Amino acid sequence: MKISEYIKKVQNKEIDIVSYTKEVLEKIKKLNEEYDCLIEISEELALKQAEKISKDPKGKLAGVFVSVKDSICVKDVNSTGGSRILEGYKPPFNATAVQNCVDEGAIIIGKTSQDEFGFGAFSVNVGVEYKIPKNPIDKTRATGGSSGGAACITALADFPHISLGESTGGSIVNPGSFCGVLALCPTYGRVSRYGLIDYGNSLDKVGPIGKTAEDVAIGMETIASYDKKDSTSIDKEIPNYLEKLNSNINGMKIGLIKESLDSGTDKNVKDVFNKQIEFLKSKGAVVEEVSLKKAIDYGIAAYYVIGTSEASTNLAKYCGMRYGKEDELKGTFNEYFTNVRSKYLGDEAKRRIMLGTFTRTSGYRDAYYIKAMKIRTLIIDEYKKAFEKFDVLISPTTPMIAPRFDEIEKMTPLQHYMADVLTVGPNLAGLPHINIPIETETMPVGFMVTGNHFD
Amino acid sequence: MNDYKFTSDVVIGLEIHMEIDTKTKLFCACSTKAKEPNTSTCEICLGFPGSKPVLNKKVIDYAIRMGLATKSNIAKELVFSRKNYFYPDMSKNYQITQYELPICEKGKIELSSGKVVNLTRIHIEEDPASLVHPSGMSSSSYVLVDYNRSGRPLLEMVTEPELNSSEEARDFMKQLVNILQYLKIFDINEGIIKADVNISVKESGYKRVEIKNVSGFKEIERAVEYEIERQKEAVEKGEDIVLETRLWDSEKGITKHMRLKESESDYGYILDPDLVITDITSDWVKEVEENLPELPIERAKRYVKELKINGEDAKVLTLDYELSEFFDAVAKKVNPITAAKWVRRELPRVLNYNNLEFHDIKFTSDHFSDILELLEAKKITDNVAKKILERLCEKGDFDVKDYVKSEGLEAVADSGALEGIIKQVIDANPKAIEEYKGGKEQSLNFLVGQVMRQTRGAASAPEVIELIKKLVN
Ligand SMILES: [Zn+2]
Repeated sequence: MKISEYIKKVQNKEIDIVSYTKEVLEKIKKLNEEYDCLIEISEELALKQAEKISKDPKGKLAGVFVSVKDSICVKDVNSTGGSRILEGYKPPFNATAVQNCVDEGAIIIGKTSQDEFGFGAFSVNVGVEYKIPKNPIDKTRATGGSSGGAACITALADFPHISLGESTGGSIVNPGSFCGVLALCPTYGRVSRYGLIDYGNSLDKVGPIGKTAEDVAIGMETIASYDKKDSTSIDKEIPNYLEKLNSNINGMKIGLIKESLDSGTDKNVKDVFNKQIEFLKSKGAVVEEVSLKKAIDYGIAAYYVIGTSEASTNLAKYCGMRYGKEDELKGTFNEYFTNVRSKYLGDEAKRRIMLGTFTRTSGYRDAYYIKAMKIRTLIIDEYKKAFEKFDVLISPTTPMIAPRFDEIEKMTPLQHYMADVLTVGPNLAGLPHINIPIETETMPVGFMVTGNHFD
Repeated sequence: MNDYKFTSDVVIGLEIHMEIDTKTKLFCACSTKAKEPNTSTCEICLGFPGSKPVLNKKVIDYAIRMGLATKSNIAKELVFSRKNYFYPDMSKNYQITQYELPICEKGKIELSSGKVVNLTRIHIEEDPASLVHPSGMSSSSYVLVDYNRSGRPLLEMVTEPELNSSEEARDFMKQLVNILQYLKIFDINEGIIKADVNISVKESGYKRVEIKNVSGFKEIERAVEYEIERQKEAVEKGEDIVLETRLWDSEKGITKHMRLKESESDYGYILDPDLVITDITSDWVKEVEENLPELPIERAKRYVKELKINGEDAKVLTLDYELSEFFDAVAKKVNPITAAKWVRRELPRVLNYNNLEFHDIKFTSDHFSDILELLEAKKITDNVAKKILERLCEKGDFDVKDYVKSEGLEAVADSGALEGIIKQVIDANPKAIEEYKGGKEQSLNFLVGQVMRQTRGAASAPEVIELIKKLVN
């Protein structure tokens, strides 16, 4: 059933939403035992919302089940950003994106697993003693990250469902690619960041993940809003995403990012991707190569410097004082918070705190932080220039298919970071990009389309 | 600092934190006025994960006011940064402040001597929470944190090292508070203003020592005086002056070592990515300028033009905001020229005599106008008026009109009654009368004194003299 048909049925009270919600919750519990895609199942909240909808079946998302990345705040539900250090933090408010869904009749089913604070591309950098989500197609493989649990539950759901993911450097499209689902990362400022537990504030974006284009369009239309509570939110009219779904691509000018098919990209990914290009051409699209050398060559470096600089200041507040994990009050303030942070932050979080603190420390600040900010401007210019010529830009989403856990174990941190090589560009430039899954006989390949701001 | 070629004996620069009087905090809608601990907090000023700051534009208006009043260059863009350090009073372990581009640069403040002190910068930042040490700073084994103060708006002003004495430091603070009050951006009763004082002396080759968090005009003067002496003595004894931060212990009247000086750039500043860079347009500045409260020069002009007060009086009356406000209130009730004379001359004389500052007084402008009203109606004499004023300075608040009545201080305007009293005095002092008639002037003074005592000063002296002369002859 199409999601729009389901919503109509809920609105017309043709579905007993309370008993259906109970059924879905049971399903989720089973799935989660197998795949660890959820950190928390918000059963109580879901049932309460279902009761409400059964009486007053209104809203664009009436009765639709929505899972939320753990780093996005849901009122009174554990929201820890996937980190042990925030264990027990139940925000006293909803993130604006969540509130928009609730206002439109959605049912919040739980918090999806992720790399701690978004620090990863495979969802293996989970918080201390958190569980690693498994790929829905092959459990020996990773889901991608950092919104791994979100893409995983989306692939597994056989009920009307949308997931809210979050991307800093590729964390929406990357797991979309590895799990074979549609994943949209919108223009920076389109969806409010209010209630998002920060990673890199100038990069963080909330976006929808769904099985079909219609799911993603409805989700996007719901969460997009101008929000005074987020100063970086942009006041711009929200288009009707559903109406645009059936646009014709005949005559569309498509820029194929040349560097994305270089030696760093696996051959099987290239083969699958190239076949799709032939398909697009057959539909009348004009595909030409475009070089985005700066974005590909310097994107990773700029992204990690800016992202970790911001992250290292964002994470400073986690000191075991006002919320989250507490410890025995012992020693001085410095000793206390050092102990709490040592125990309850994971290795990758510590690595990025150190990296980010270094890059903004006096003596290195100009060489790293300030330079990265300048490169970011150059990358934005490079994209702007490309969009003078092309309507959209395309590339594979990731240079590989979902790797196996044993392969990941052998990777160095730098190899981990390179998984983002194709996605950091649009993330740095704040450009909207979407992962379109291409099914193969084995693991799916991701096809990424990047648009101009607000396209 | 090294760019300066100092020549004077003492070099002082100030870094001043001023709490700006807005209804709500800098980045959230919490009230700035709460008293009961932790009653004015929200997810933003507590730094909860997921919360984001939203700028209170009023603070920017006020900072622009300050920039205009100090003739500063006002930045074209508003940029906020994160200053990172761990401290229990910091809700986020970073403070949102301005670093690269302060809102005001290169301003000036004039001291009462006419000397102009240059300002390096004025910037906006959020106040941290306050720490409460339940059993005193040194003996508490724990602290309590009150987040009511967390996120309140502050302006920080940095002066060039151009002050050369403790008196100048004190006067600078006075002038600054005066400006803040004129601009109506500071609550004199509740607002906190604190200075970090950088002091160096010639003898040490101008090695800079910082004294943290000194508040109050007198305290600054005392702290600076002490520190100058301490440094000079240390050099004399052959000790090294180290670049350090010291604490002012007001009770003991000494400064104490706190820590070695850190440099500003160790705070790992980054731009605050939650706040967008905002243009400060010339229209915005113009709008603030048009709504600027009346400043001393305009007020003095108004006094001359509307109240017909002479220029000199008007200038003196407007130098101090509170004195000027006091005068305004009095001048609404009595003849402004009388008011000017009494507020400018008699009030300072009495204050001076009692070793008081104007802001120490416990009586109001109503008390003062009551006196002048009685004086204008000739119900009391100048002398009685001065005496009541003196009494007000000593005792503070009492009802002037009741007091005059109960003490029988009403002027003996009726010459019949006065004649009666004089006759009694003459009858009671035959010896003095004889001496006076014999040409002894002192005896007349004695007789006048006797009359004054009987009337408790409520008679006018020239009139008494005239009547004695008339009656004796
Ligand atoms: Zn607040």
